Amino acid sequence: MLRLKQHGPPNSASHARVTIPALAVECVSKRFSTRSLLGFGGKTAETQALSDVSFAVEEGEMVGLLGPNGAGKTTLLRIVSSLLYPDSGQVRIAGHDVFAGGRRRLGLITCDERSFYWRLSGLQNLEFFAALFGIPRARARRKISDLLDALGLTYAAGRPYQSYSSGMKQKLAIVRGLMSDPDLILYDEPTRSLDPLSTQNIREWIRMNRRQSPRQTHVLATNQLREAEQLCDRVIIINHGRLIALGTIEEIRKTWKGGDFVVYVIEVSGTLPARRLTPDPVEGLLAVESAPGGEESLVRIRSTADGRGLSRMLSVLLSTGLSIKRCEREEASFDEVFCSLVSAENPVEVEAAP
Amino acid sequence: MNLAWAFFKRDAVTALSYRVAFLAQLFGNIAGMGVFYFIAKTVGPQQLPALAGQGGNLFAFLMVGIVLSDCVGISLSTFALQVREGQFTGTLEATLISPVGLPVMMIYSSLWSYFFCFIRFVLYLTLGSVLFNVSLRNANLPVAILIFFLTVICFMGIGILWASVVLIIKRGDAVMNAAGYLFLLLGGVLFPVSVMPRWLQTIAWFVPLKHALEAMRLALLRGYSFQALLPQLGLLSAFAAVLLMAGLITFSATVRAAKHNGTLSQS
Repeated sequence: MLRLKQHGPPNSASHARVTIPALAVECVSKRFSTRSLLGFGGKTAETQALSDVSFAVEEGEMVGLLGPNGAGKTTLLRIVSSLLYPDSGQVRIAGHDVFAGGRRRLGLITCDERSFYWRLSGLQNLEFFAALFGIPRARARRKISDLLDALGLTYAAGRPYQSYSSGMKQKLAIVRGLMSDPDLILYDEPTRSLDPLSTQNIREWIRMNRRQSPRQTHVLATNQLREAEQLCDRVIIINHGRLIALGTIEEIRKTWKGGDFVVYVIEVSGTLPARRLTPDPVEGLLAVESAPGGEESLVRIRSTADGRGLSRMLSVLLSTGLSIKRCEREEASFDEVFCSLVSAENPVEVEAAP
Repeated sequence: MNLAWAFFKRDAVTALSYRVAFLAQLFGNIAGMGVFYFIAKTVGPQQLPALAGQGGNLFAFLMVGIVLSDCVGISLSTFALQVREGQFTGTLEATLISPVGLPVMMIYSSLWSYFFCFIRFVLYLTLGSVLFNVSLRNANLPVAILIFFLTVICFMGIGILWASVVLIIKRGDAVMNAAGYLFLLLGGVLFPVSVMPRWLQTIAWFVPLKHALEAMRLALLRGYSFQALLPQLGLLSAFAAVLLMAGLITFSATVRAAKHNGTLSQS
């Protein structure tokens, strides 16, 4: 597992002073049984949705929850939000078991547009949920008004929810998640199905809100790596129900040993011999991209980690009379690191950073 | 109070936004009352021996049956519908993460339905009296209202029990129809239970609607006093306590099971 700069559980020996994390997920496992749809054949399949997942999120942090579809993100989020019991393990919010009162401290912002009452106005919906969370009426009105104002939704507060656009619905979900001033905010793909402008607005607002409420802790489940890069302090990557990486994006990218390939950028002077620049997997040259220029050209290659592909390409270039001006190892993008991590048969083992 | 009002308002605004459906629900039974009025007229004005203990008049007997059994239908549909719609739309999960306890949530989510049911109860008794000449001159209205509320609590329990089943089996329409007919048969809605075979009467004794209807007919059509109806009221109170408790405990257990199985939001 790729685990960097471990933010351990509260009893970690490395902590000189014991601090209670805003969110502690301790050894959580979950298995689902699927029964046959036809007949009464009993259990037919079992799926291990989560396996012994542990991590802690400190107060004020924003942590991204990443993973391919079916990795277990939603299951984990549902357990953290008290909608699903784990088979084993515990979830604590500021030290309180989420199933025994801890849920009072959390706000859930989902991408599910239908989790509101369509015939009610936006304001009526918010007032209903405010009452559910026990927010006194006067305070709720003030808070709702402030949040609607901040998100630019005041003009539509009295309109029926069914007339809202996707962006407006998402903003309303944010208001609902925040109006009880929760200690922990869970975002379940907050910008899914939004246009780029709305996406940018929501992300900008989340950033601004973090600055204004630095004590609030955030967990963001998303499929958009760019979103995690823009918003999160750290990310958690899970795959097949197992936590496979935990750290800042920079730490994960730098410490990742590349798995089975390395990308190099080679700058040469002279005209590229286009016909000879082809991949040669047998020689370790997995991919070649070239950008022919006038007097200087660029070649980007993907070589096996042992460097055989680089040697092969350099010898090809030198044998055609070109001179090498520059050759650099390109740092893998987070997309590449992520894809490599989740597509690996076995999780990549990497030493923790000091 | 804030919370109860929030649930009431949510359901009232939703119901009133479907104007045609709302009006149909409010006045839809008038035609039904007309049907029973003319059936009673066909039978004739004579006192039927089987109804002798409950006022004797066939139409009045049927009218009380229809009016009170309305709350059976409401109970069977309200809670189950809330659960199913909540599962479909995701509002069930959105409400379940709140700190409100399940029993409170279930009871409050029926406030509008029962309020509307009470409005219809009053409306149809008034229409029966004005349009169809049912005499309510001797009616003991305070006791009738008490019986109405005890019936509501009994069937609230049954409705919540039924919602627990729907949470698991998802589609319960066919079973609900069958249950509706069973209550019609055993409750004495359209005929007195005394005309059924002895063994069916024994089963009917365990159906609270039978006792509620008997008490309601005696209070409305014969003006029985609170003291005279004490045995029926006691029995209804016992049914109400047991059924409501059973409903709430079962529903909580079912939600817990759904949280274990991950079926809370499955459709």
